[in-house]
Amino acid sequence: MNEKELLQHYKTTGDISALGKLYSPYMSLLYGVCFKYLQDPDRSQDAVMQIFEELIQKLRHYEIDNFKSWLHVYSKNYCLMQLRKDKRTTQVDIEDNLFESEQKLNSSEEAKWEERDFERLEGCMQTLNQEQKECVRLFYLEQKCYKDIADLTGYDLNKVKSAIQNGKRNLKICMERKENGK
Amino acid sequence: MENNYQLSRIHNYIHGLMSKEEMFQLEKEALEDPFLQDAIDGYRLQNGVDARQLSLLQQRLNRRVENTIATRHAQYYTWQRLAVGAAAGVLFVVLLALLYFKHFNGKAERTTDVTLSEPENLVTIEPLLDGGDATPLGGWKAFEHYLNNQLKDTGIGGTIIVNFTIGQDGLPAQIQAEGTPAQALVEETIRLLRSGAKWQGTKGRLKITFPLKEMKDPAQSNIIKPPHCFGIEKS
Repeated sequence: MNEKELLQHYKTTGDISALGKLYSPYMSLLYGVCFKYLQDPDRSQDAVMQIFEELIQKLRHYEIDNFKSWLHVYSKNYCLMQLRKDKRTTQVDIEDNLFESEQKLNSSEEAKWEERDFERLEGCMQTLNQEQKECVRLFYLEQKCYKDIADLTGYDLNKVKSAIQNGKRNLKICMERKENGK
Repeated sequence: MENNYQLSRIHNYIHGLMSKEEMFQLEKEALEDPFLQDAIDGYRLQNGVDARQLSLLQQRLNRRVENTIATRHAQYYTWQRLAVGAAAGVLFVVLLALLYFKHFNGKAERTTDVTLSEPENLVTIEPLLDGGDATPLGGWKAFEHYLNNQLKDTGIGGTIIVNFTIGQDGLPAQIQAEGTPAQALVEETIRLLRSGAKWQGTKGRLKITFPLKEMKDPAQSNIIKPPHCFGIEKS
């Protein structure tokens, strides 16, 4: 059974082993996500199990199209709730989290780019700040990895990462605005 | 498994074991996949992938799934038992109800017989304690029984209150009726008391109710008998 079938099977029968099969492949990723927020190995493991417990209820009632991204958002919210509960203040980079709230950008659209779109993209590139422009260009056009970009520009690795993430988001917003405004 | 593949890529990425092209590839994927990006961030914070933790986690999940399945089986059997128990309970209640109705109906029939006929056909005595301390040897029950056996049909019913003393021979003496009851009733009372059991004590005072065995006067019968008691005459 593929993911969708497992999900449907669980929803109709409540068979928990189907849910286990669905959940198991994501556990290592989930652990990483939980660790990012909770920053404690035991708590992160417990969180992964607790999220599973909640799914036992939730998945029978919710209609879910994209399980992977739903699970990601759900687990992130779960961890943030945990943090809020114990009133622990953590340093979360707002830029990082802005990026995460957006989902897949391109896929099908990518194929139908025309000359006009490239001109538009070039225009949008000019709206980015220096860091973002630099990093996006090096990453997307020259296909360099973060580390190389950091070495080339002298920026911190994390700064490179968020510059690319934010640059990409800004480009997308800019492109959409131009498309609607033509 | 795709999952393990991703995990080892994350591991290699964090520990710098990837070529630049591979790093770029993973970074690009992570840009399209915030889930992956978050996981990479997490493992980087942890300084690497701990396979032992993850296999423990996998075990916990397996145990969790197995437990639920086991519980479900247990619950299933419990339901089965419960159903059997409920059926037995219903049967029991039905049986009880049947028994109850049977018993209740029988009792109702008997009650009709007893309550309507007995007081009218039997002599009853009521010792009036304010008038004396005498009790018949053998007890009141036996005395009442004796009265009923020895009773002659006087054709008169009624209630009489008598006072007497206990003589030297232990039998009632100086028997006197209160008020003005029928002479036959007084004579019958004296006869019964004199020929009955011996008494103990010094003085006695009794209220004796004689039944109406035969009704010669229809007018009288109408007065005394309640209308629903017809048929008693035959017995």
